[in-house]
Amino acid sequence: MIKRVEVNYRGIFQKNLGKKIGSDIVMIASRMGQKAFSNGRYSDSPERNGIPCKYFAFVSPDLPEEELEAECGAKLEIDETNISVVLDDTMCKGVEPWGWHGIRPINEKVIKDGCLLVVSRKKPEELLKFIGKKPYNYRIAILDGDASLAGLWVNKDDLTHERILGGIAAIDPALISIEAVESYLMEKTKQKHRAEAARAAFESLRAEAKPPRVKLVTPKEGIDWPHEKPVLPKWFEMQEGAVVPAVKRGFEVGPRGQSRNAMFKRGTTKTQRPAVRFDLCTKCTLCWAECPDECFDPTKDGFYDIEYQYCVGCGKCAEICPVKECIVMVDELRFEDDSSPYEHWKKDSKDYIQWVEDKKGKDRVSYPFVTGKGITVTQGEVMPEGKIVGIKKTEEAEL
Amino acid sequence: MSVAVAKAKSDQSDVYEREELLNGCQAVAHGVRLADVDVIAAYPIRPYTEVMDALSKLIADGQFDAEYIIADSEHSQFEIVKHASSVNARAFGGSSGTGWMYGMEALVVTATDRLPPLFVVGNRALDDPGAFGVEHNDAMAVRDMGWLLCWVTTPQEALEHVLIGYRIAEDKRVRMPMGLAMDGAFLTHSQHMVKVPSPEAAKKFLPQYDLAERRLHPDNPISVAPQINEDWVMELRRQNWEAAKRARGVIKEAYKEFNDVFGERYSAPYYFEEFMTDDAEVVLIGIGTVAAPARTAVRRLREKGQKVGYVNLRWFRPFPTVELRECLSRFKAVGVVDRDFAHGSPDNGGILMHEIRSCLYPAKQRPAIVNFMGGLGGRDLSIADAQKMYDITQQAAKKDSMDGFVTWIGLRE
Repeated sequence: MIKRVEVNYRGIFQKNLGKKIGSDIVMIASRMGQKAFSNGRYSDSPERNGIPCKYFAFVSPDLPEEELEAECGAKLEIDETNISVVLDDTMCKGVEPWGWHGIRPINEKVIKDGCLLVVSRKKPEELLKFIGKKPYNYRIAILDGDASLAGLWVNKDDLTHERILGGIAAIDPALISIEAVESYLMEKTKQKHRAEAARAAFESLRAEAKPPRVKLVTPKEGIDWPHEKPVLPKWFEMQEGAVVPAVKRGFEVGPRGQSRNAMFKRGTTKTQRPAVRFDLCTKCTLCWAECPDECFDPTKDGFYDIEYQYCVGCGKCAEICPVKECIVMVDELRFEDDSSPYEHWKKDSKDYIQWVEDKKGKDRVSYPFVTGKGITVTQGEVMPEGKIVGIKKTEEAEL
Repeated sequence: MSVAVAKAKSDQSDVYEREELLNGCQAVAHGVRLADVDVIAAYPIRPYTEVMDALSKLIADGQFDAEYIIADSEHSQFEIVKHASSVNARAFGGSSGTGWMYGMEALVVTATDRLPPLFVVGNRALDDPGAFGVEHNDAMAVRDMGWLLCWVTTPQEALEHVLIGYRIAEDKRVRMPMGLAMDGAFLTHSQHMVKVPSPEAAKKFLPQYDLAERRLHPDNPISVAPQINEDWVMELRRQNWEAAKRARGVIKEAYKEFNDVFGERYSAPYYFEEFMTDDAEVVLIGIGTVAAPARTAVRRLREKGQKVGYVNLRWFRPFPTVELRECLSRFKAVGVVDRDFAHGSPDNGGILMHEIRSCLYPAKQRPAIVNFMGGLGGRDLSIADAQKMYDITQQAAKKDSMDGFVTWIGLRE
């Protein structure tokens, strides 16, 4: 028997965190007398800022190590998982773990009665608005928390690592037991608060815990997956000399007007997206000019629509926009599709302004600098229609 | 000597000091630490980079003391390693794919100068276009240059072969550079529990590096690699040839000594290991991590009563000609798995297949040979793929005309 755990993480930011979780599953399972190993399917390579990546751990109580390696390590993509861990809930919108696989559902590999373990502030029902349907029952377990950057050496350790281990112990004690997790953490770190964090996470996922954080998901729940799997060409169908067709130059004015590479969208990289108030736009062109991914489409009346499938959520447009509340970065999970905001605004400007303000909400979350001081949350302001106010960009105090 | 060995044998309980979770790269770094290497030259390229990451961390953490030089390219990196080796410093370098090829000039002369540093090669496809999956052509590029060349299949073997590699390379009968190759991703990035030897045990096994009369030092006035022309080169090549011949015997010795210190880790004939071959009619032979799915396929086919086995070829240079000829001529058919390519070669087969066919030519009884090109550029070689290769090889055992037949495994066609 083999138990497979997949850790979905955001490239670079959570790389060490993903690897530490995979490694510790192996260490703990080994201490329980099982065979185990872990690998990352090339986590240092296609890994650019924020891109969804995977780390794996494989455990067997009865197979020899070589057979476990042959079953799980000799293939690029694993067939199935007992537990898929998600370290950032925005990946519930789908992941593109490496090139040419297309956008895949976050629960694609989860087996019948398996579990999707998500670090989130949201409820399972809210996440199921983005997650694909499965033909069988499985579970979603929520570990209360935010996407952790603790794997980066500059950021404060928030115990996500220990809490995931405790969570896995609650989901499948045969894989790693909570007692083994605690004794391992105590022995390794000599820090009681780490073992306690694992235990608290374990308790929060137990059936009798209140509020309940584990939901049984039936085949009726979830969405019909909107993204197709790309079909790769056979060797004789490909052009010789490592040549692929490039994108034809030029664009038309209007939404979706620019020519873009349909085979290279990086939208699953983003955790936030820019929300635009077109009525406040001064047509200064800065967002269009500065966007590194050319997501902005010029329109006939001088505005700039956004093609979100190509947006990686870098926030450059929001940073450079000189008008208060005109472009604001908003949690990606507040949006259900990638439709054109400009078309919505043109159709009904009042409805659009109401809609975009609802999405923006009251909080403005920003990550000023990578200083280890965490995030800054400020109160947002609802600007009346057409009221254009310039932003005074203030320098950060420590600079 | 025999007394020391006997003492070691009775004292094997503490040869390993701890178990640690290490991937192939980290395991090599610990091997370098235990070999007490003096000079390390580093330049990054995936997938071997983590070897150097791990070494710099060991040094920064105070667990290891060595000169760590960051070079400006692979060419400089390999030159630094070669020069360090020539002044009697135990030296270590490494690379992958095209980085390895970029430093090729330095690699070739390291062999001509008969210096024994160890290089790790994290096997990587030779890009264009930016491919970083495993393919063996990078390491294979030094196969005819006077190098020792060996592949490992697990992090445990990777660690141990740093020690074994230096032991063989530095032997005064050999003094050849050592290429320690391991599959990119499948081994470099796969973490397993590894038994880490104690420094005392490593020291007991691996003698001090002593270049003796060839040590470049003011007290020992010599000049290494002066201008040599038509009147010198051929004799020099003949010396390299002789060293490669002697290395075959030294390899055996080294494994026996390793077993004396660490217990029965490796079995004869050492250059390769046979798995369930005793009564086998058909075998596959391959290099590197394909061993795991292939041996698993063997176990499963054996359960169905099929007489199959697997030969894991560890040493590619020097090629274990006599031993492998004796081994493979026992079978009806041999399937050679190449994770490399040799375009335009006889039958368009892989490098390993040609070496094996050549090795078997003088054999009185020759098996049918079929060839598999598989896992190129990091493509999977799974248990199911191995079973398919056994099927084809079994068919070849029944027909003579299959000789040299090449099948691509895992290709989209």
